[in-house]
Amino acid sequence: MNKVLTKTKGFFTGIPGKIKNFFTGLPAKFKKKFAYAKEIITQANGKTCASMLIMGLGQLLYKRWMRGIMFLFLQAAFIAYFVLRGASDLFGFFTLGQVEGNAWYGIEGDNSVIMLLMGILSIFALIFYIAIYIVNVKDAYYLQCLDDTRKELPTAKDDAAKLLDKDFYKTALTLPVIGVCIFSILPIVFMILIAFTDYGGDTVPPALVSWVGLENFQKILTLSQFAPTFGKIFVWNMVWAILSTAINYFAGLGLAILLNKKCVKGKAFWRAFPVLAYAIPGFITLLGFKTMFSNGGPINYYIQQAGGSAVEFLGLNSTWSARIIGLCVNAWISVPSIMLLATGILSNINQDLYEAARVDGASAWKQFIKITLPYVLFATTPVLLSQFIGNFNNFGIFYFLRDGYISEGYFLASDTDLLINWLYTMSIDNNYYSIGAAISLIIFIITSVISLAVYVLSPSYKQEETFR
Amino acid sequence: MKTVNKKLYKAKSKKVLNVVITYCVLLIVCFIFFFPCLWLILASFSKSGSIYSFDGFFPSEYGLDAFKTLFTDTTMYNYPKWFLNTLFIAAMSCIIGTILTILTAYVMSRFRFKSRKAMMKGTLVLGMFPSFMGTIAVYLLMTQFGLINQRWGLILIYSAQAPMGYMVQKGFFDTIPYSIDEAARIDGASNFQVFMKFTLPMSKPMLVYTALTSFTWPWSDYILPKMLLQDKDLYTVAVGLMSVADDATQFARFAAGSIIIAIPIIILYFCLVKYMINGMSAGAVKQ
Repeated sequence: MNKVLTKTKGFFTGIPGKIKNFFTGLPAKFKKKFAYAKEIITQANGKTCASMLIMGLGQLLYKRWMRGIMFLFLQAAFIAYFVLRGASDLFGFFTLGQVEGNAWYGIEGDNSVIMLLMGILSIFALIFYIAIYIVNVKDAYYLQCLDDTRKELPTAKDDAAKLLDKDFYKTALTLPVIGVCIFSILPIVFMILIAFTDYGGDTVPPALVSWVGLENFQKILTLSQFAPTFGKIFVWNMVWAILSTAINYFAGLGLAILLNKKCVKGKAFWRAFPVLAYAIPGFITLLGFKTMFSNGGPINYYIQQAGGSAVEFLGLNSTWSARIIGLCVNAWISVPSIMLLATGILSNINQDLYEAARVDGASAWKQFIKITLPYVLFATTPVLLSQFIGNFNNFGIFYFLRDGYISEGYFLASDTDLLINWLYTMSIDNNYYSIGAAISLIIFIITSVISLAVYVLSPSYKQEETFR
Repeated sequence: MKTVNKKLYKAKSKKVLNVVITYCVLLIVCFIFFFPCLWLILASFSKSGSIYSFDGFFPSEYGLDAFKTLFTDTTMYNYPKWFLNTLFIAAMSCIIGTILTILTAYVMSRFRFKSRKAMMKGTLVLGMFPSFMGTIAVYLLMTQFGLINQRWGLILIYSAQAPMGYMVQKGFFDTIPYSIDEAARIDGASNFQVFMKFTLPMSKPMLVYTALTSFTWPWSDYILPKMLLQDKDLYTVAVGLMSVADDATQFARFAAGSIIIAIPIIILYFCLVKYMINGMSAGAVKQ
């Protein structure tokens, strides 16, 4: 425990030093880059200059057809894109539209939201183009240097071989990086920017959206509409994330240990049941449990048979019964995966350790505390972390179990809702897009700070190079 | 002599008690996990189909009606079509997504290049972002690309987002000793050849694990298809079944539909459970 504390302390006290190092290192880095740029500019011969003017021209003059045509093609494609749409998109990013649409007068106005989105895309394209341009100039200069020292220039065949060998990472990463940029990073940037606009409420296209700065964050923290709801949901969200992670983790671990016992025969048979639960798609499980606890469902049937009156397990006023059912159902869904994971990890523990402990007369409980738990905790820190984040943002559970209620004292949320459910109701169902985006930014900051700190501290990050 | 016997007896009875308790707990656990599944299976064989006609957990009359109507009565709920849509989307995303994820993980594990650490931390942080807030943007993007109401649109999104989750696979590749690569490279193999001929065949458990997870994700996702597919004939099973589940009188149909889409995954899981355990723990254990 102390070790962890000092480590944590070390990490946080180390931050200022790291930041300082980063900034003091910057000038040297830039100096080097500037020196290189200067070298290229002053030393460039006619052919390299040709490449600076028109991408790929220098390479063509050196008769490196493949490279030249590729750069030329990229430039042509970019110019075509920029003339046809990129330039106006980029302009639209800053204005967010100037002509308000009006169906009455038949004016087709600007759609601010689309303009924002395509504006970001055009900025991405511009950055990509600049990067390619720099690569192009460097490449031309590299050919020039080779030519000057009378070395053989690489042929197209050499280039292709290099892309499969030394530069294989470039070949392999091109598609994933483009895909992730467009479908993961672009949406995130878009949502972050939306948090600083007034998009939502009445201000949805065709009305024009504009930049408002930090107004949304102010609203969340001060406005009587949002602030109390945000506070209440946040507290419950934290409680939920910690409780459900702990329950799932220890139940999964316990189950794995139980199945790992020597006296258990037919392990595959016993393991089949949790795996069955794991294999069923989550939404089916959730809808099934919702029916089970519904008013006309089987549980209430038995209560009524026994002479009681129907209990509203998931109704409007059943805060804690709904919360507890949520925790249990979540455990039903998540425990098997942790069990499988822990089974794999447990089989890796050196059995001699237990032998030695038994000789020393350690009880089973002591063995668990001193050997099993530290080892498993050590090995599963990243999993624990992703479980925590997953539970913090667990959208499905209460979306399926208890959709559509609005509790007293809450603004557009029920008392079991997590922040992510609140976000959904506000932005998708009620058009509060900018507020929703601001909240998601807050969630994002909380979760990323926690996880980055834990991740950097975790052994699996520090000992990455062990196997090299 | 007597005391020794007594001690032995005590130890033995303790052991027996231990075994008995272990099995009792196991039985309870299995019951907890199995009972809801059993209930759904029984419900799918209910004759009337409505939850209100059940005697508690058990249907009052049994029959195959739910399965029949599921495949024949397609005017309201076109289940066969949904099933084929889901299968197509999941299979294509699985193939493309697995290739991209494995490539990314391999490169991140084996190459050292300038922006590598930045990319690793970047993906980790971006993964924390509440993902469906992004789906609004994805939806708008798809309207711009003209891919709304198209199955390929969904496949594109699933496969493009798959490489974000490369960490587990990277952890696995980290555990494959580097000396194998080096030996092959001394023999003149390029990095690409090393990857194809040595690393891939050795990573079978990881490949299976990746393929399985990238298949089950589109198979059971409901947020994206709900947003992107508005045409009822293009629905995936998840979206379609949600509309069925809203109607309590159609509970048997919901149960039957659920069982049919759960069965392929369950079979896959049982065949591959060994790989799953290896794959999952290999990605996590690094010491």
